Amino acid sequence: MTALLEIRDLHASVGDKPILKGIDLTINTGEVHAIMGPNGSGKSTMSYVLAGRDGYEVTGGDILMNGESLLEMEPDERARAGMFLAFQYPVELPGVGGMSFLRAAVNALRIEAGEEEIDQLGFVKIVREKAKLLGISDDMLKRAVNVGFSGGEKKRYEILQMALLEPTMAVLDETDSGLDVDALRIVSEGVNLLRDPGRAMLVITHYQRLLNHIVPDYVHILADGRIRKSGGKELALEVEESGYAGVDDAA
Amino acid sequence: MPELMMQPDLSAVTASGGVRGAALARWQKSGWPGPRAEAWRYTSLARLSDVDLAPATSLAGGLTGPGALAAAGINAHVIRFENGVVDPAGMSGLPGTVSVATLDGDEPAMAQLADLAPAGHPVSDLSLAVMNGGIVMDVAGAVETPVMLMFEGDDAGASAHPAILVRLAPGASIQIAEWHQSAVGLAAPLIGYDIAAGARLEQVKVQAEGAATTHLAATGVALGEGASIAGFSLSTGGALARLETHVAMQGEGADCQLSAIYMGRGAQHQDITTYMDHAVANCTSNQIIRGVLDDSARGVYQGRVHVAPDAQKTDGQQMSRALLLSRKAEADAKPELEIYADDVVCAHGATVGELDATQLFYLTSRGIPFETARAMLIEAFLIDTIETIENELLAGLLRPVAEAWLAGKETL
Ligand SMILES: Nc1ncnc2c1ncn2[C@@H]1O[C@H](COP(=O)(O)OP(=O)(O)O)[C@@H](O)[C@H]1O
Ligand SMILES: [Mg+2]
Repeated sequence: MTALLEIRDLHASVGDKPILKGIDLTINTGEVHAIMGPNGSGKSTMSYVLAGRDGYEVTGGDILMNGESLLEMEPDERARAGMFLAFQYPVELPGVGGMSFLRAAVNALRIEAGEEEIDQLGFVKIVREKAKLLGISDDMLKRAVNVGFSGGEKKRYEILQMALLEPTMAVLDETDSGLDVDALRIVSEGVNLLRDPGRAMLVITHYQRLLNHIVPDYVHILADGRIRKSGGKELALEVEESGYAGVDDAA
Repeated sequence: MPELMMQPDLSAVTASGGVRGAALARWQKSGWPGPRAEAWRYTSLARLSDVDLAPATSLAGGLTGPGALAAAGINAHVIRFENGVVDPAGMSGLPGTVSVATLDGDEPAMAQLADLAPAGHPVSDLSLAVMNGGIVMDVAGAVETPVMLMFEGDDAGASAHPAILVRLAPGASIQIAEWHQSAVGLAAPLIGYDIAAGARLEQVKVQAEGAATTHLAATGVALGEGASIAGFSLSTGGALARLETHVAMQGEGADCQLSAIYMGRGAQHQDITTYMDHAVANCTSNQIIRGVLDDSARGVYQGRVHVAPDAQKTDGQQMSRALLLSRKAEADAKPELEIYADDVVCAHGATVGELDATQLFYLTSRGIPFETARAMLIEAFLIDTIETIENELLAGLLRPVAEAWLAGKETL
């Protein structure tokens, strides 16, 4: 069976600075993997490289999705192929209405699949339904994308987009940062609803607490651009007790 | 006369005396501004040098094209000019308290237009001198039906010189849309809006001329006590376009909202030039200018705000932002404040920037194709400006024009 996502000896630089220094990771459909690591270890860099952000240059290795390399694909092509990134810092788009943004994204997928564009009324209904589960108000949906949203609202809005786009490979970058306990619960429930045998997730976090809510199948510790240790969910607890220093020593 | 510049063939012009004769004499003395004229530093008219144009004298076609549809969409009364010549059909059946007469021969009206017209602007003299008839429109009260001034014509060898004086009586109000969409060689409309005390003009202008047309508009506005204008121009057409507007605030409490969007691609040159004359106290002027430039297009915004010594409590604002979509595109902004009063609030700002790479990445990471993402961000950049137009009917005229440009269509 072909893995959903296969990262092979991935090296990447930002500017001229090497950040990822040889990452190997295989994710199969239906699995939830967690990546933990100290600040600056390269977690966000890895998420951007997966999504294809400009300026994040792959200097070696490969990323395969369903056996095909993503490296020559633009961000929009990757997204339409099933990749989704929930941003650590969602981007504000003043003047871009939330509804037209969501609709443009969903329609881009539909056009790719040879389907008809979604009609406006039907779409509003679907968005409201999914938004309700995430505690997103109608008022928030009417505003410009991420403009005037609190930190927690931005994170919920990322999960709403994921729920609408139904990606096969979802990367969640520090979806827990900036959330209080209640918001963390809402967001985690939203994510858990999207766990599916046809979908894999890569949950990036600095803290173990998110993994109490979104329980991963595998945990990987990233430090200085490499995966230092991999294990089951108990590895997260280990890190919680002894910190990343212990992991680094072991490496 | 300056050498080398295109000179309309004035042999048919019979203006020998009076206001027109004086304008002709001034034009013949000064001609087109040369390369050293400060007000034309960023916009060169040298391209007119090889062109041989003659003012048109007769009408041919009828009302056609997207402008007609737009007019029908807002149920406007249309007064049509073809190659600069007025179609008399639009001079009757006028709405409400509007009346229209021929300008030529009405010496006081022509003198008024000459007075309103931007001082020192070549079109101010030229179009008054060589106009074919011209019109004077009087608005006596509140008018519900919008009036559209439609400028058409497909004679590439013609220069069009419509001359129009619009007078709003005290307390009157009207909505006027100017629709400029022709293929003439030179479109040189001269328009004066005289807005008496307490009157209000809501005005939009669409400049969507053909790709080879040079559009040089001279517009003059006078505001009486408590009078107001809410004007908005959208300039997307022409090879070279300069929309120059001078506003004289002559009565206290006058309010002037004058915003513009220009959009250029290819080798287009788009110029928005304004002069706000705060002659008396307690007036406000506010200008929001947005420019979008692709390829090797060039954009210019020159905004001068003059505050006379007695014009205390003046509030004069201007803010221009240009968005460059290509490395070869270029924008110049020259805001100028000349303040001779001490108790005023005046501010200006000008920025030139590019599309935000992070915003583009965010959109494309959701599967939205790059071109669509780009168009969404450009639209977002423009949208809040169009949203400042209170009059929904008039705002509605502009959106399709901007969208057509964004979609890359040559015509609407
Ligand atoms: N745009 C950038 N320019 C320069 N350095 C960067 C940039 N983004 C990240 N880095 C550097 O790359 C390293 C990894 O950062 P990042 O991937 O954000 O780590 P994490 O998400 O694990 O905190 C850090 O040393 C950071 O300073
Ligand atoms: Mg990070």
